Amino acid sequence: MSSSDSGAFAQYLDLARSNADVLAKGRPALLGDLNAAGANRLEALAAAYRPAAGEINACRLDTLLAPDYGVNIARVPMQADVAASFRCGVPQLNSLLAVVVNDIFRPTDTLLRNMPDGLTVCSLRDIPAQFTDDAAAMLSDTGASVADAVADALTTDGVYIRVAPHTEVEKAVQIVNIFNSPVAMLTPRRVLIHACEGAKVRVLLCDHTQSPATAHLSLQQIQIRVDAGADVEFYDIEESSAATHRLSTLRAVQQRDSRLTVNSDYLSGGTTRNEFDIRVDGNGAYTSLSGLAIISGEQVCSNNVVLRHNAEHCTSRQLFKNALYDNARGAFGGRIIVDEAARYTDAAQTNRNILESADARMEASPQLEIYCDEVKCSHGATTGQLDERALFYMQTRGIPRDEAKRMLTQAFMVDVIDNISFEVLRQRLHILVEKRLSGASADCSTCATACHTQPTEE
Amino acid sequence: MEDLLKVENLRAGIDGKEILRGINLTVHPGEVHAIMGPNGSGKSTLSGVLAGDPRFTVLGGSASLGGADLLALSPEDRSHEGLFLSFQYPVEIPGVTMVNFMRAAINAKRKYLGEEPMSAAEFLKVMRQKRAVVELDNKLASRSVNEGFSGGEKKRNEIFQMAMLEPKVAILDETDSGLDIDALRIVAGGVNKLKTDRNATIVITHYQRLLDYIKPDFVHILYKGRIVHTGGPELALELEEKGYDWIKQEVDNE
Repeated sequence: MSSSDSGAFAQYLDLARSNADVLAKGRPALLGDLNAAGANRLEALAAAYRPAAGEINACRLDTLLAPDYGVNIARVPMQADVAASFRCGVPQLNSLLAVVVNDIFRPTDTLLRNMPDGLTVCSLRDIPAQFTDDAAAMLSDTGASVADAVADALTTDGVYIRVAPHTEVEKAVQIVNIFNSPVAMLTPRRVLIHACEGAKVRVLLCDHTQSPATAHLSLQQIQIRVDAGADVEFYDIEESSAATHRLSTLRAVQQRDSRLTVNSDYLSGGTTRNEFDIRVDGNGAYTSLSGLAIISGEQVCSNNVVLRHNAEHCTSRQLFKNALYDNARGAFGGRIIVDEAARYTDAAQTNRNILESADARMEASPQLEIYCDEVKCSHGATTGQLDERALFYMQTRGIPRDEAKRMLTQAFMVDVIDNISFEVLRQRLHILVEKRLSGASADCSTCATACHTQPTEE
Repeated sequence: MEDLLKVENLRAGIDGKEILRGINLTVHPGEVHAIMGPNGSGKSTLSGVLAGDPRFTVLGGSASLGGADLLALSPEDRSHEGLFLSFQYPVEIPGVTMVNFMRAAINAKRKYLGEEPMSAAEFLKVMRQKRAVVELDNKLASRSVNEGFSGGEKKRNEIFQMAMLEPKVAILDETDSGLDIDALRIVAGGVNKLKTDRNATIVITHYQRLLDYIKPDFVHILYKGRIVHTGGPELALELEEKGYDWIKQEVDNE
């Protein structure tokens, strides 16, 4: 049995409690409630914490939270000019852009000038009065893990995105997350997305590190409400440094006839653990979850999905692909729970992995829990190597073996990318993946795509 | 006349079993050679070994192409030196388009030869010209490599690639297998169009049929890992008439 280190969590409880007055400074009531409730849950959950069986050591919550990270609870502003110098790799996206430096939200002028009617994108510290109840209700729907409690106890900012009923936001809302700190830092990040009835929105998040020499832990909490008939596309691209670790939880609730598309791509970073908890509560909903990870060196990436089908006539598709090199470790946990009320569910899950080194390791654990007879559910997980016959065939045509491997790996990923309906992003991702497979550096400051030198949309 | 391909006492095997037991073959520019033989005689092993198929182990002998020591080169460099193998079973590569595949191949060769990459416009023009050689549909050229191609389309695609790469020596391994008569005519017609007095073709086949369309200058009979008979085109006709038994008897009684 693995022993756990509750000290990993206790240090953050101490931090929250001994700095209660600092946390409280200028804090809106809803964050006060969140911090207080988080601290209380943290106390209980830290004591009860046990790692799950078979978890990769590096991905365990007590491992990820063990370092003595600083937390910027005093909200010391970091370098100001980040918005101008870092623009994530989606040119011509013509997006509604905001930047989050560590956890501090910074809208761009473009966003403020062009905010369409019916769209709200703002800091959690700055939510318009008529929406504070909405945000508070979302925040009160807390995550179950001790890491979620740490995040709640220490959250001082975040992004609130609300789309009014029957509003279709034409431009994508893009949040560029930048880590920049001279000292090791834990950053709780919160993103709330509420698409009201019949609303439609695309949100793109990307992670970059501006100070790659410093250790970072991103403690990300994303909550998405997809009301009846609403359509939310959420994209999350991680392209950070080897010392930037990430523990991300995405929780979503879908209502009747809604659509939710989540795509999460790991291009580079340190140890990343992504949790997806999707609850489908309304009939006739559609859910698509997909992701790709290119994991090399000592990198670790773990994706865990829990998809709860609680309503009738719902469809879900999952597609996760990983390519692992060197000593990389990867994990995919995919659990589909079909409630007895969820008749006519059509759920499919696919996880495919390529090991490109004898030392890379992948763990896949698909799980179906079906409590209803009239359903169609499938899952498939495979882990293998690149096709030697295809490699040889390509070599006989003069394509060098390493290039042939890159082409086959890119081809392996192609269905995840082509699944993306957001065309500009799809094209961009093809290029980003190609660059990554060609060995181009993927941390933003040296990124081969040099997107930060591209002209901006202004 | 200079030797284009020279194979001397080549021995090779798979999984510890010796299959090629001393092959000698010399090919000059402008020649067409046919290699025939019963099942299991080592025909496909020979083509695989020359192309550098990692499944086979070379046990001895040598093979050179235009002076380059083939056996010392990677499969890609053998291609760059001018060797081409048309596969008996072309491999499907989902997700890699024919265009990207061919462009990677052409530009790798150019890099090897110290030339600049081909421009996109020039590349598409060459693609269009070479497609015409085997009447390959543009739709196939824009799809993933061999994915969902019929048997005939796959073989036409092989000859299309040969046209693109302009090899010095092309080995066609059972190119006639799985082809109906119309496809056979198109494929063979393509091979004939590509023939010059500077290149050479080795046709590996079971049957005389393909040799009605691609006329060989020499016919070799491979049996038990050795070339046991070499003759002119008439040897293929003799085989068609009498089968392989007389060859087998001749060799086995030695």
